[in-house]
Amino acid sequence: MLLARALRAAAAALPAPRPLLAAALPPRAPRPGPVLPAPAPAPSRSLWQLGGGGGRAALLRPRRGSAGGVSCGCGGLHTEGDKAFAQFLADEIKEEKKIQKHKALPQVSGGWELEVHGTEAKLLRKVAGERITVTFNINNSIPPSVDEDTQEDQKPDEQEPDITSTPNFVVEVVKDDTKQTLVLDCHYPEDEVGHEGEEESDIFTIREVSFQPTGEADWKDTNYTLNTDSLDWALYDHLMDFLADRGVDNAFADELIELSTALEHQEYIKFLEDLKSFVKCQ
Amino acid sequence: MSLVIRNAQRSVPLRRAPLRRALSALLAALGASRFDVALVCAGDGLMRRLNGAYRQRPEPTDVLSFPAHRLAAGELPRPRCRHEYHLGDVFLGVEYIARHAPGEDLEGVLTVTAAHGLCHLLGYQHNTKSEWQQMYQKEEEILEKLNQLMGTNLRPLTAGLF
Repeated sequence: MLLARALRAAAAALPAPRPLLAAALPPRAPRPGPVLPAPAPAPSRSLWQLGGGGGRAALLRPRRGSAGGVSCGCGGLHTEGDKAFAQFLADEIKEEKKIQKHKALPQVSGGWELEVHGTEAKLLRKVAGERITVTFNINNSIPPSVDEDTQEDQKPDEQEPDITSTPNFVVEVVKDDTKQTLVLDCHYPEDEVGHEGEEESDIFTIREVSFQPTGEADWKDTNYTLNTDSLDWALYDHLMDFLADRGVDNAFADELIELSTALEHQEYIKFLEDLKSFVKCQ
Repeated sequence: MSLVIRNAQRSVPLRRAPLRRALSALLAALGASRFDVALVCAGDGLMRRLNGAYRQRPEPTDVLSFPAHRLAAGELPRPRCRHEYHLGDVFLGVEYIARHAPGEDLEGVLTVTAAHGLCHLLGYQHNTKSEWQQMYQKEEEILEKLNQLMGTNLRPLTAGLF
């Protein structure tokens, strides 16, 4: 089944925020009432004691039976675990930013415009009377890591292989004078991409091909979908050449991996920052 | 007959359909249409790795053939089961070829190189002068048939080797 998301009418999106700027989310606004003091390094029990007799003006509102947690009026629980978690996240974010290969999303050569809407990216190009769109989503786009045998062979001082994002991508081709969009669902081979050196297979494959009505958001199940698993090789080669003529070739597929990997890393860091803000009371 | 083509390199823009048409015609000219062949269009990295692993020459090259059968020159396999219909794999060093034939018709050069690789799958060699002459004649013959079919003017790869 071809990916319906390819034809979803998506609003033009703002580019993803750059991770080196201020944290993605503003600090959680404190509720009206007592303001938390700066977090003290003392153990949690001392926070209970600071709470005093439970008056409304108390700086801290101790909550009995909350396993060492304290309520500061923000509506959240604060445990030692949360504190450790927040610190861990802070360290993790720092490390991720250090190894971030692309601070800004890399360009894809060939005159492609990029639109990003959260985890979904769209590359657009016009060639003569045709509009070509390539859509992918970075969620679940990182293939499983190397197996245990390989890891055992790895020397301790060798670096772990880089994480790469190899998302499925959907190519849509619309000609000006037709009401049908040709939709091709493309995949990267599961075991081979991202390894050092060249492998012996195609960089990407076409899995399914279908026509869908142009401009309609709903996927038409009743339109025939060609599965390439048992397709005549000559026809398959023509489809690959068709894509190559429109700029979707091996070089493009490689650059898409770079873009997807950069976007995935960016979103991962943003997620960690959001998680830190969520866990840690500001 | 199953002709599997893979493009494992990113450096040189390629069109697969014309290559398939040419190789199918060459296999027919060799009398080997009923057999399976795999053709991999490879970059320098893969060719270097294979050349190093199998010929102890870790450098890119234009073509490497891996025959599935041990055959006398021009002999065809006598398959006893389905998998014996596989003639072998031909790796075209596309990046190497493009680099060494600037300005030439790349499709033509790839076809001539592939013809050479296919002849290797059928037992042809060029280690001695007589072996080379035999192989050269066969390449000339199948390329001439291709030229008549497609209106090309392709010549064997190993002209002037000896």
